[in-house]
This record gives sequence, structure tokens and C-alpha cells, in this order.
Amino acid sequence: MMKQRRKRRKVGGCIGWTVAWLAAALVLFSLADMVYTILWNGIKSFRISMLFTITSGNAGGLENAILGTLYLIVLSIIIAAPLGILGGIYVSEFASSRIAGVIRFLTEVLSGVPSIVIGYFGYLFMVLRWGWGFSALAGGIALTIIMLPYILRTTESSLMQVPMAQREAAWGLGMTRFQAVTKVIWRPAAGGIATGVLLAVAIGLGETAPLLYTAGWSTYNPSLALTHHQIGYLTYIVWSYIDMPYTESHALAYSAAFVLLMVILFIHLVVRAIVQRTMVKH
Amino acid sequence: MRKVSSASKTADKVFRVATGLCASSPVLFLVAIGIVVFIESVPSIKFMGWHFLTGTQWNLGDMYGNLEVKNGVSAPAGATYGALPYIVGTLASSVIALLIAVPVAIFTAIILAYRVRGPVKTVLSILVELLAGIPSVVFGLWGVIVLAPWVAQFFGPLLTHLGVVIPFFRGPVGTGMGLLSSGLILALMIVPIITATTRDLLEQVPILYREGGIGLGMTNWEVVRKICLPYVKDGLIGAVALGWGRAMGETMAVLMVSGSAINYLPHSIFSPISTMAAVIADQLDSALTDATHLAVHALAELALVLMLLTLITNFLARWLVHRGGQRVRSGVRA
Amino acid sequence: MNQVVKWISVTASAAALISVVGCGTGAGNNATNANNATNTAGGGTSSAQVTLNETGSSLLYPLFNSQWISAYKSVDPNVTINAASTGSGKGISEAVAGTVQIGASDAYMSNALMSANPSMLNIPLAVSAQQVMYNIPGLGADKHLNLSGDVLAQIYMGEIKKWNDPKIAALNPGVQLPNQPITAIRRSDASGDTFLFTQYLSDSNSEWKSKYKYSTQISWPAIGNSLIGATGNAGVVTELANTKYSIGYVGISWLDKATAKGLGYAALKNHDGKFVLPTKENIQAAANAEADKVPSDERISLIDAPGANSYPIVNFEYAIVNSKQSGDMASALKKFLKWAIDPKGGNSAQYMDPVHFLPLPASVEPKSEAQINKIGG
Repeated sequence: MMKQRRKRRKVGGCIGWTVAWLAAALVLFSLADMVYTILWNGIKSFRISMLFTITSGNAGGLENAILGTLYLIVLSIIIAAPLGILGGIYVSEFASSRIAGVIRFLTEVLSGVPSIVIGYFGYLFMVLRWGWGFSALAGGIALTIIMLPYILRTTESSLMQVPMAQREAAWGLGMTRFQAVTKVIWRPAAGGIATGVLLAVAIGLGETAPLLYTAGWSTYNPSLALTHHQIGYLTYIVWSYIDMPYTESHALAYSAAFVLLMVILFIHLVVRAIVQRTMVKH
Repeated sequence: MRKVSSASKTADKVFRVATGLCASSPVLFLVAIGIVVFIESVPSIKFMGWHFLTGTQWNLGDMYGNLEVKNGVSAPAGATYGALPYIVGTLASSVIALLIAVPVAIFTAIILAYRVRGPVKTVLSILVELLAGIPSVVFGLWGVIVLAPWVAQFFGPLLTHLGVVIPFFRGPVGTGMGLLSSGLILALMIVPIITATTRDLLEQVPILYREGGIGLGMTNWEVVRKICLPYVKDGLIGAVALGWGRAMGETMAVLMVSGSAINYLPHSIFSPISTMAAVIADQLDSALTDATHLAVHALAELALVLMLLTLITNFLARWLVHRGGQRVRSGVRA
Repeated sequence: MNQVVKWISVTASAAALISVVGCGTGAGNNATNANNATNTAGGGTSSAQVTLNETGSSLLYPLFNSQWISAYKSVDPNVTINAASTGSGKGISEAVAGTVQIGASDAYMSNALMSANPSMLNIPLAVSAQQVMYNIPGLGADKHLNLSGDVLAQIYMGEIKKWNDPKIAALNPGVQLPNQPITAIRRSDASGDTFLFTQYLSDSNSEWKSKYKYSTQISWPAIGNSLIGATGNAGVVTELANTKYSIGYVGISWLDKATAKGLGYAALKNHDGKFVLPTKENIQAAANAEADKVPSDERISLIDAPGANSYPIVNFEYAIVNSKQSGDMASALKKFLKWAIDPKGGNSAQYMDPVHFLPLPASVEPKSEAQINKIGG
């Protein structure tokens, strides 16, 4: 009787662990298949010349989309990084725990707002009401709203991890909170803050829905104009050119996805390296 | 002791105000989005009332015909906005995603937390985080060229055998674009969110509890099932709700594989569907050809409903995650 | 403090540097354009660099994208034209909103939209048509099925479910039709093609006319996965090619690409009860039959024109333009549009033939020109 029960429990454990391993394998297999599909098709269709030609006709190149993506990311990070980093400093260093809780919570709520709703908001408000037209600025601000919560949250949590003793030491030297933050506390948190900004860039790179109705689409290289000029971006090519009935259009879509994936992969590796380095330092 | 100069005191104050302003910016954005979406949806709320949530016809009306006035709002004759098919599409696809993703993610998290160590663990964790970082159009691309054909030719016909027992699995399978593919792709997208959060929660289970279980003669698996999982239950439900919110709000991947159904409630798991998010992306240009702008307002109301749904699940999720684990932070987008 | 300032200024300057480099390439291109300008500007009158944004009709897109844009570079090098295939609905709405200068549309604007935006112009640029295409393996590429608007309406309403339905067989005596369910394909974006197709169905089937009417976007029949949405003409062609035993409507400028994918197209029943193919002659016959009825605002349907040879789904390709434009933009826009409708310019056979479009009938061109002259004035 006892023996049977023990056996049953053992078998149950075996089944449990097998299912768990299978589940992990399924996740890894799906990821591998996706990465393989994009890499294989991407390598087959990607040409270096695509980096220096603009999209035209049924295919062409990616230059306009790459530069446009870059411009949108730079614009949005110029707005989102100061807002997020300074906001994170406030939440961690200045705010009372109640206010910090409220801001933290609402920031997380903002990160839960569907990106298409942010795009719709951008269209109604910036493109139409403020009359900016489809433009880099409208797209950049839509991306800002998406990036901001990540930067603020990672900044805040990196600062929170700095030991209280360091703050007390700084205050004890007669520093104001401002001086303490800018001279002492930011140093150990810098790695964390940088990963937050980088991850926000990776997220911004991959967004489509908020840009469809704010940035528009252009087959020309972006000008520096902030408003009234449409701007191209990589995800648009993936989305629209895979729908076309030509092989060369599909090749362009695969190439765009390939470039995107490579850049995002690179950012993730850099983030890992930073995390590893700061972990070693501690 | 060094004396604090008045200049640095002022600098401190200025800095404090500046950071405070920055910290309030997410709140301002949130409020602005809420207000704009609500104001834009008022005419549609007046026009449709509760029928917006129960109607199944999404009809811009006869745009080349005459206008008519109903409930004080003018619209092309015959216009009616019933969002039920999109609400059902959103809920159905996200629930299918959850049914698949939750067990897979929990099992994967158990493996990541308890079964692998050292470099293997690091590599697997990176891979899961990478999955979370893949853009949704890339998921959509994969859905169009790999998943939908696979569903149409292999997985779908296989599932139709279940149709004998469960009518919802009955064919025809069609092109593979529809509810099943949408659910599968969403599942894949939310697995990393649930996995990462669950893994962090599981790692926080005090070692004493687990050792206690072993000491009582439990097998490894029993420790996981009877001690660890109950311990993280609240946080787990929170992680699931978080994934659910993401699945409901996802746009591009679903738009690419959903089959863009209109006026149609799914009859089977192979039916084409549309979700609220996909309809907003897909129909805004149609809506703008409505001279009365009612269609734009109707889409705003759809955005409002979607926002409320995702916010409710998010509120729930944050509350449960915070209560469950002490402010668990996952390294992925959540 | 200093540290933060330094840090922020470093990031900012890095960002600025990136953007400068990024736009450097753009500026470089402009410079080359300017060089071309000095070399080739013979009759060019517009002085400033102007970008004309066009968006909308995926039917008109191949003409803009593959023909006109490159051709116009040598006509006026100071003007760059940016075209996008987004659907006629978007063409109309963006032109009205002022986010683009030229909204391309296969459909003219509705009365309601016109009275809300009285400064908008609907300027026909060319004559186009639409064919009904299908993917029936084994039918033979040169075999054209006979179809009528009535039968098509019943297919799209789910009343005719299979290819070998007696109603289809009756139109095609002697043709071996497969015993396979029909998958109908519609446009999911707001589309001029939908406008034309549903107009044809409304003219031929009273049930369709009372229930679904016609527009760039309609409330489609709910028949599940027998009716699938696709984006743009490109999307419809792709979906048709991927889906066996499917049927869909495709703009004529996509005909060659679609037949290269193995799709067949139907002879449609016209006003006089004849089954006709979308040949140059048949499209011309339809356009000529309606040419005299074109009003001065040129908003007119050419669907189901009378005449034994008239192809039933024929339309004007419109440029939707706001007449309120300022200086440089107005003159650049006028110059381009006048070139586009000129039988020796954009309307010449070398641009029209590859996309199977026809030039405007001689009696219509002056009316378009009169509308173009309203721009900026």
C-alpha cells in the first residue's frame, strides 16, 4: 500500500517535470522557428545596397525607413529620457511614499494603455487638432508616451537599489539632496538607468500601431522638419510589403524585419553586458 | 560641519520642482489620453447608448445618401455601431491565448527557477526576454508566412477531429486567418511576460519553506505544486492578468492574422475575427470619410472600451502582483 | 550637478550628431536634385523646392509610383512626389484633413462630405476599370467565366456557396465547374474598388441595393470565413493567389500582375445583357457613352453604362484636391495636375498602357482643366 503510493507520487513527479520541460521546449522551439524564419529569409533577401537606396516601386531599399526610424527614436528619446530619468529621481529621492506610490502606479497603468489607443490619441490631438499633420514630432511624441514609463521605472528602481548608507554619508557631508543625487547616488545607478533607456529604445524601434496614424509614411529620406512632413519607418515596411504580391516586395519586408531584429538583438546584448558588469562591480 | 549655502539650497529647490514636474508627466499623459478619448466618444455614446455594447452591426450608413438625426446626433442614414463582434473577438482571442500561455509559461518558469543553473539559466532567461522584445509586426510576419498556413493545412484539420465532441472545433478550417491563429500568436507574445514574472516570484519563495517540504518527505515536484505555487498564487494571478491586458491591447500581429471579420460573431475556432485594437487601426481611414464624423467618434468609444478593459485588468494585476511578491520587477515589457 | 549636466549634454550632442548625420544623406539628395535642376530645367516655371504628397487609391498607385513620379522628375525637377497606396478612403480623408495635397481615389466624394468641405475638388485624371478575378485551378488561363452582377451579389451574400451552383453554370454552358465552396474576398480598408464593385452589385441586385448599398466601406454580409478581408489591391491579389477557389475584385492596373500569379478574370454582364471583357475598346465604349453627361464638378458614376460593348465597371480616377492652397504649393500642384491630364504628358499612351488605363475622353479633359484652374484662386 505504502509502496504503491510512493510509486504513484514518484510517477506523478516524473510526469510533472516532463510536462514542464516540454513546455519550456515548446517556447524555445517557437522562438527558434521565428528567429530562424526571419534570419533565413532575411539573409537570403538582404543586400547591403538596401542601406543606401530609398524605397521605390515594389521594393527598392530601406534607407528612408532606417533614417526615419532613427529620427523618430532620437526625437522621442530626447523627450522621454529627461522626463523619465528626472521623474524617476523625484519618485525615488524626493517624493513621500504615498506620492511615490501614486506616481508609480499610474506610470504602470500608462504602460498598460494599448499602443493603438496612444496612436489614436496622437492622431486626433496632434495630427488633426493641433494641425501638425503626419509628422516626425507627432510620431515621436506617441513613442515618448510608450517609452516614458520604462525609463521612469528603471531609473527609480536602480536608484532604490543604491544603499541608504551612501545617501546618509552624502547628507552627512553637508550635501543637499540635489547634490547627493548628482554627485554620489547616480553613479552606482547609472548602469541600470542606461539599460532602461536602451530597452525603451528597443521597444520604440519595434512599434507600429502608434505610428500608423501619427508619422504617416514616406518613401523619401526624412528632412529635419518636425511637422507637416511624413516620415518612413522600418516596421511599416514589414507590415505593408509582406501583403504585396511580388517576391521583391516580400524580400524588402524580410530585410526590414531582419534589420530590426538584428538591432534589437544587439541592444539586448549590450543591456546584458551592462547588467553583468554592474553585477560584477558590486 | 560645512554650511549649506543659500545658492545650493535654491538649486535643490529648483531641482526638486523640475524633477517633480517630470515625474508628473506620465500622469498628465494618462489624463490627457483619457480625456481626449472620452470627449471624442461622447457623440457615439449619445447616438448608440448601450446598444454599442450589444449590437452586432457596424455600419457607417449610406455615406452617399442623406443624413438623418437620431438622439440629437446626425449621421448617414442607416448608421449603427454595434461593437459586440469586436468585443467578443478581443475576449475570445485573448482567452484562447491565456488558455495556452498560462500553463506553458508556468511550467517554463518552474524550469527556469528550479531546474537550470549557471550559464544555462542565463542563456534561457535571455532567450525568454528576447522573445518579449521581438516587435509585434515580426510576430505578425511569422504568423502570416508560417503559422497561418500551418493552421490551415495541418493543425486545423487535426483539431476538427475534436469537432465531433465540441462543436466549436468544427470546420471548415478556411485560410488559417482567424480566431485560432490570433489566439496562438497572442499566446506566444504573452508567454514571456507571464514566464518572467512567475520565475521571479518562484525565486522569492523562501528556501526554508522548500526545505521544509523536502524534510516532510515530499518529492521535488510535490514541493513545487503544494508549496511553491500556492505561495505565489496571488502574484501569479497578477502576472496572468498582466498578460491578459497585453493580449487585449495587441494590434499589429492580430491585425495581420485575424482575417478582419465584420458584423460576424465567431461560430467556430476557425472563424475570422476582429479585435477592438485591430478595428481601430484598420477602420480609421474608412471612418474619416464619414462627413458627420460619427464613425470617428464610434472608434473613439471603441478605444474607450478597450482602454477601460485593459485598465481594469491592469489595476487588478498590479494590485495582486504587489500584494503577492514584494514589488517584483520583471526585466521585460509588461 | 556638473556630472548630470555633462551626462545630459553628452547624450544630447550624441543624439544631435546622429540626427545631423541622418539628415545629411537627405540633404545630399536634395543637393543632387538641385544640380539636376540647373541642368535640365528647361521649361520649368515653379521656383521653390516643393514636395507633393499623394496617398490613397491602390488602383491609381501603380500609375503614380511606376510611371508618373519618375517621368515628372524631368518635367519639373523642383517637385518631389511622394506616393503611398493606402486606399481611396484614406485618399479622400487625408486630402480633406490637409495632411496630403493629392488624395487619390476611385470614388468621388459624397454629397455630405462635399457640403461639409465645399473647397474640395474631384478632378478626374484618367479612365480606369475593375475586373472580377478568381483562382480556379484547372480552368485554363485563357478561359474567362461569364458572371453577372446579380450572381456576384448572391456570392457575396452567401446565397451562392459553390462554384458549380446552377446559377453560375447557367451563365457558363459547357464549362466544367468545380464542386468547391467559394471564398469571396473583399477589401477591409476603405476602398474605391469597393465603391465601384458594390455600385455594380447594387445596380444588378435589388436585395443588395436595399441591404448593403454602395460606398467605399459597407457593412458587409456576415457569412463567416466565406468572406475574407484584405488590404489594398495588393492584398486582394495575394489573398486570391493563396486561396484556391476564391473570387475577388481587383483594379485594372493590377491585371498583369494578377494574371502572372495564375488568376483568371471574368467577362461581366453589361447594361445591354452582353458579357464583355475589360479590353481597351470596351472600357473606351463605356467612357464615351457617359462622357457627355459629366457635370462641371465631374462627380459621376460610369458604372453600368449603356451600349453593347460597354464594360460595366468603369470609373474616373480622381485626384481629390483642396482648392485652398498657398503660393508655391498651388502653382506646383496646378502644373503637375495639368501635366497629368495632358494627352501629350501624363495621359499619353506610354504611361497609360502599362497599367491599362485610358486617357480622359476629349470632352472631359477641359472640364478637369477648369477645375484645376480653381486651385489657389
